[in-house]
Amino acid sequence: MTAIRRRLEAATLPVAALSTLALLTLLFYYPVGRVLSEAILREGRFTLEPLLSVLADPFFFGVLAQAAEDPSVLWTAIEPHQLGPITYPFPNYKLGLFGFTAYQALLSTIASIALGLPGAYVLARFEFPGRKTIRSLTAVPFVMPSIMVAIGFIATFGRNGVLNTALTAVGLPRIELLYTLPIIVLAHAFYDAPLIARVTATAWESVDAGTAETARSLGASPRRAFVDVVFPQLLPAILTGALLTFIFSFMSFAIVLALGGLRLATVEVWVYHRVNQLDYGGASTLVTLEMLFSLVLTYAYLQYEARQRAESAARPAPRKPLFGRLNTDRVAVWGYVAVALVVFVTPMASMLLASVTGPNGFTLANYEFLVSRQLTAEAFQIKPLTAIRNSLLYGVGSLAIAVPMGVLLAVVSTRDVPGSKLIDTLSMAPFAVSGVVVGLGLLQGLVFGTTVFGYRFTVTGAVAVVAAHAVGAYPFVTRNVAPLLATIDRSVVESARTLGASRFRVLLDIELPQVFAGVVAGAAFAFAISIGEFDSTVILASGSSAYTMPVAIERFIGRRLGPATAMGCVLLVVTAASFLVIDRLGEGRGM
Amino acid sequence: MARIELDGVRKTFADAVALEAVSLTVEEGEFFTLVGPSGCGKTTTLRAIAGLSSPTAGTVRFDGEDVSDTPVEDRNVGVVFQSYALFPHMTVAENVRYGLRFTDPPRGLTTDERVEELLELVDLPGMGDREPDELSGGQQQRVALARALAPAPDVLLLDEPMSALDARLREQLRRAIKRIQQELGVTTVYVTHDQEEALAVSDRLAVMHDGGVEQVGTPVEVYERPETEFVASFVGENNVFSGVVADRDGDELAVDVGATGTDGATDANATTGTNPTTDAAASGEEIFHVAAGDADAAVGDRVTFCVRPAALSPETGHNRFPVALETTEYLGGITRLYGEWAGGEIVLRLPEPPADDTITVGFDPADAIVL
Repeated sequence: MTAIRRRLEAATLPVAALSTLALLTLLFYYPVGRVLSEAILREGRFTLEPLLSVLADPFFFGVLAQAAEDPSVLWTAIEPHQLGPITYPFPNYKLGLFGFTAYQALLSTIASIALGLPGAYVLARFEFPGRKTIRSLTAVPFVMPSIMVAIGFIATFGRNGVLNTALTAVGLPRIELLYTLPIIVLAHAFYDAPLIARVTATAWESVDAGTAETARSLGASPRRAFVDVVFPQLLPAILTGALLTFIFSFMSFAIVLALGGLRLATVEVWVYHRVNQLDYGGASTLVTLEMLFSLVLTYAYLQYEARQRAESAARPAPRKPLFGRLNTDRVAVWGYVAVALVVFVTPMASMLLASVTGPNGFTLANYEFLVSRQLTAEAFQIKPLTAIRNSLLYGVGSLAIAVPMGVLLAVVSTRDVPGSKLIDTLSMAPFAVSGVVVGLGLLQGLVFGTTVFGYRFTVTGAVAVVAAHAVGAYPFVTRNVAPLLATIDRSVVESARTLGASRFRVLLDIELPQVFAGVVAGAAFAFAISIGEFDSTVILASGSSAYTMPVAIERFIGRRLGPATAMGCVLLVVTAASFLVIDRLGEGRGM
Repeated sequence: MARIELDGVRKTFADAVALEAVSLTVEEGEFFTLVGPSGCGKTTTLRAIAGLSSPTAGTVRFDGEDVSDTPVEDRNVGVVFQSYALFPHMTVAENVRYGLRFTDPPRGLTTDERVEELLELVDLPGMGDREPDELSGGQQQRVALARALAPAPDVLLLDEPMSALDARLREQLRRAIKRIQQELGVTTVYVTHDQEEALAVSDRLAVMHDGGVEQVGTPVEVYERPETEFVASFVGENNVFSGVVADRDGDELAVDVGATGTDGATDANATTGTNPTTDAAASGEEIFHVAAGDADAAVGDRVTFCVRPAALSPETGHNRFPVALETTEYLGGITRLYGEWAGGEIVLRLPEPPADDTITVGFDPADAIVL
């Protein structure tokens, strides 16, 4: 009897790992592969013609498309820009869809660095009440639904937003920021500046005070010591954050869709547009090119990240009190705090405010609408409560798939299992593939159906949505659990083995109890990501009743801003609850 | 209890040979030590016995039965690691009890009785409800020992169990381990880099070097009759000389070290026993008379011999040579001196440091060991 149990236990881990890989193949690799094959197969035959025609199309690549014939046209894409007294060359809009996408990503990266670095300075070098809270808040963007951020920006900067109301109140003319590049860049900075602040502050805290002190003792001024000794130690973190920001902004979808529309379309938005026009072939071609680009960037990022070792400092420099005699340092910091408050707090506050105000002041009409529309909605209209129910259901569903999958992959990636490096890389691929691609792949591969051994195999929209969410969420579980698993001394595991435990028993008895906090934090991440996921959901839910809160918000924008903000607030509450769990248990590890 | 046999056990990692065909036998109930500098293969050998890593070639047998393919959880071994490796989310008693989930306690004891018995054995009675992090390093290591012994293993494997402890605790725990081992009579393999510890606790020991076994024997055999230059210099301090046999008179060799001088003194922590031989021609012909022992060296043969520092004395009339002193270390009751002769380093142990910076010492032919 025991012998049989032992056999079973010995087989559990390999079988679980194989089923995880099979699931990953079904939910991710097959759908994405389907999109790729769509791009390079025409009537069953391999062809690069669609890809090449996109590459040569000025609509997509602007002057780059003509560069093969006449490289000198490249110069026309660079124009002198004026910044105060300085004139500098900068790319203009003649770069086509891909060029523009990269251009806005570049601007977003610069803005995020500009907004994030001072934040890193404040977090790493000053002491003040609430520092730890603010520090953990920098992890919020990872779980913040992009469409919610968009609605916050509309509530702030829209035609009747908080900004224009304030301007009108003091007799100034209104400004139109919606559907402009600056608002998109600012929204991306809202997302990514905290990321840059976070990684840089972490690096800053691990700079040993002794290095700067040694430089000072050798004759360097404080400024020289910073430039020569401290900054070089921060640079890798800044570049890591910048690269990530560029990737995120390049693949940004919901924010550009809501704040820029087709006029400022990026590749993702254009792909969505093609999908809505039922041009799946064209969408696949674009997505393939985009994916090649983002995979290269992600590979570069991973290579770069792998070369950095996170060491904790022997002795970090002491923090300065934030409240104290006003010197130039503190004045600058307070100035930054004011800007940060406007950028980071106003959008969410405006959304809350807009949800409870109407033409006649305070009102709950927007929330009442969510309930009453539920009863009166036509078949083609969104039922608000159904959206909330769907979101919660899908959240639980994705949790149920993503947590075991993520934990298993964490185990495989941290223990010496044959092929663990490869599995690790393959399993992290969803990071580099946008939700739109996954959505498109699942739509074509599973929702439209596929034929396996003569059987037609289709899934409903709801199942596909859960699948897409699980694919987006499980890397976060892995990333929360793997670092904790790695801290468990190998000899602890070996001790348990020598005492008679099978590998699977060791996982249950010894490892999981010790990484439990990471598992819960990963689960909260998974839930929050599912709740906020928009990119793939909006594709999979089109024309079906599988819509979620973010999709409902997007449908309401444009027509009914009030209910959109009310729905945004509901989303905010659910997301905030998840974040509390993450903060208590996960400390945003590995992100 | 089991008799352990390693037969041609070899282990290679990606690009390096960790173990070269090691063959050893550990007798039933024996306290056997693997000692050597880091990287010598001693831990690899222990892990092969435990089943924590599978050898590239060769077999491991327990009581004559091939266990090479038996997974670690079925080998019935107890292992204690340097890092204690206690399960941090379990109390002391839960740690000790863990192995009893997979096997019944011996002698019909209940699980609780067995746990308490072991805590008493390691001098931690009544500590079962403590959390591991409430204990000192020495106490944690005792818990680890109790945990390893709870399922009554056939073999106890100790991988540098005391390296993380300070010197005093180490000696205490060393005595405790020896006492417990004798009480239980469990076959024990102990890995250490500390040759002094190895001499102190072992029934027999194997000195390892570069993935191979240099010598196996009792502590007295290994210390007094080292078979290789590495063993001579690794186990205790030694002065190693080499030269050519100029004459043989029965059991005594006349060795001319003038042409080659001394290989130099080597201390116990050196990883290699040979210093570059220096040119001692300046001192001309230098004949030492040494006891041949088992060596069947003939005139003209090149031989290496060693002399322990304590055997070099200013009072001895034989084999005298001058040593230019360089460093003095007072060790309490005795002084260690490092000096130079014929281009090689000489280490001495004298009751009193000499007044001059040169001292002439000699050694009895019987105190020299020809390797």
